[in-house]
Amino acid sequence: MISLLVLLSLQGPAPREVAIEQRLARELGLGVGDTVRVHREPGAVGTLMVVSAIYQARSDPATVLRNEFEARFHLADLARLLGAPDRIDRAGIRLQPGIAPDTAAHRLDRVAVGFRVRPSAEIASESSRTFLVVSRFHRAIGVISIVASAIFLLCIMLLKVEERRLDAAVMRMIGVRRRTVFVALLLEACLVALVGAAIGIGLAWASAEIINAYYGARFETDLRFAFLTPEIMLFGTLLSVVLGVLAGGTAAARLIRTSPLVLWRRG
Amino acid sequence: MILLAAKNLARHRVRNTLAGLGIAVAAALLLDMVMLAGGMERSFERMLLSRGFQIRLAPKGTLPFDTEATFPGGAALSGTLRADPRISAAGAVLGGALFTRVGDSLLPLAGLGVEPEGQGLYELERGADLVPGDTTGIVIGASVAARTGWKIGDTVRLSGGTDPQVARVRERRVMVRGVVHWLYESRGERTVGVTLPLIRALTGRSGDRVAMIMVKVARDADVEPVAADIRRLEPGVEVNSVATLIARFRTRLTYFRQLSLILGTISLFVGVLLVSTLLTITVNERLGEIATLRAIGVSRAGIVRRVLAEGALLSLAGNGLGLVLGLITARYLDGILTTFPGLPAAISFFVPERGAVLRAALALLAAGTLAGAWPAWRAARAPIAATLREEAT
Repeated sequence: MISLLVLLSLQGPAPREVAIEQRLARELGLGVGDTVRVHREPGAVGTLMVVSAIYQARSDPATVLRNEFEARFHLADLARLLGAPDRIDRAGIRLQPGIAPDTAAHRLDRVAVGFRVRPSAEIASESSRTFLVVSRFHRAIGVISIVASAIFLLCIMLLKVEERRLDAAVMRMIGVRRRTVFVALLLEACLVALVGAAIGIGLAWASAEIINAYYGARFETDLRFAFLTPEIMLFGTLLSVVLGVLAGGTAAARLIRTSPLVLWRRG
Repeated sequence: MILLAAKNLARHRVRNTLAGLGIAVAAALLLDMVMLAGGMERSFERMLLSRGFQIRLAPKGTLPFDTEATFPGGAALSGTLRADPRISAAGAVLGGALFTRVGDSLLPLAGLGVEPEGQGLYELERGADLVPGDTTGIVIGASVAARTGWKIGDTVRLSGGTDPQVARVRERRVMVRGVVHWLYESRGERTVGVTLPLIRALTGRSGDRVAMIMVKVARDADVEPVAADIRRLEPGVEVNSVATLIARFRTRLTYFRQLSLILGTISLFVGVLLVSTLLTITVNERLGEIATLRAIGVSRAGIVRRVLAEGALLSLAGNGLGLVLGLITARYLDGILTTFPGLPAAISFFVPERGAVLRAALALLAAGTLAGAWPAWRAARAPIAATLREEAT
């Protein structure tokens, strides 16, 4: 493992260049122009290098949880440092226009020994597999949460409407039509569902802000960990209203079918 | 008391069934999160200790096979370690990309060079194992056997790249000695094992560099002293005991632990809220009945006990269903998470353990029972005369 040791030395042969990311510069208290000794491994002979640039590392969700530092070298310098001249991890090829990447990659891969040739799209797809898994997991957890909240909502709506049986009985006794009572109860359920959805959206927004602030600070990144999109808000509101109307409607229908006297007595 | 509570609950079948279902889903989620919180670590620990190797040496600053880095003097160091009487086995490992030809295509294989006298990466299933100094043998996993059709005793060609000096492919003919079970192989990976000298020859690596050394200490009590001695002996090498590896693993999976904590708390809260709401409304509906009971001499404590029993019964019914639901959903969720690329097939995220299941069930039962405390208190404190008068008018 390459370790960076700071040596404020200005002696020796002309140092090579290294660019380091901002977090590492902050951690080691380095600035542009400082000289560092870079080792392949502890105890090995190091190479003097000058910090030629400090950059903001690109936020990469694939590596953010590893919380590792990054430094960039000229290819030849790094190969020499690692004791593996003319060895590389990967190389990119830009094809002439009109040549299909899949065909070219397949043909090269059949004859290549010691390396694999793959189209960029395939690599991108494989790199995003981790996120696809996490996304599938989140969706599954989301479905369970939706089922739990749906049952909760149904139960509450049922209780809420049943709580209004005395009012319903009075309304029916003074001559209010069944249909009007039903619509009134349904509207009330709808309103409760809408208010609940609004509060839920507020809570979700606050949680997303807290999550982003916490993980952003923890991993020193500007990545967003939680998003509250208009689609999610719309879905939440619709689900809440549909369930509210369904539960409220069912309970209200049961209520208006019951005789007002029975409702009054039960009240 | 329980019978009375059950009868009271049966008076409102629809709402109580819904509440029971709600509690069941909350219990299932809670159980899943409890399993997720501890399951990964236990599963990881079991995998690490599956062959009894308690210490892993890796290049400084890395975890074993987390990067392609190697460290020098590996085979020499493993030899030194094997001479230590406290150590029962030690073996160096070096990885590299290998290839073989299947039809007209090259099939990439994950090659592992091992020291057969101290390897902890596989268990032999059929055939013979590699022996020290064997430079013509190979062991393969079931996935390789299935993909290539290789059988024990077959002679096959393995290559490891091109030699840039002579522009020739480094290729060897090797014999399949045995079929093994790779302990750390990920799904879809095709791993083959050869000896350390052979992988070096195939991948064109010179010197005594290795990616990892696995160490098995004879007595568990000696693990930390041995690890400390190796750290002193080789300061340039990262010495990872199982505890260290689990701690590093835990850091990487912070997200899942925090998620399980948050979702577990929410599900517990939902369960409590459901029981509490339901009992509050039920008590409000039955205030007259409760006042009558109080008027004929039932004590306040008796009323409290009855309401609490209803909460406990509701939670208990939800818990029972929740347990079954939780185990089913855990299996489904585990099926999703274990498809993480590069994750060893032996790792599970949701490990059902009796202790965890019991803790989750007890937590929900206690919470459900306590959720009835506020409505129970209200029921017991209701003024008898005023309530009865109100009921009569």
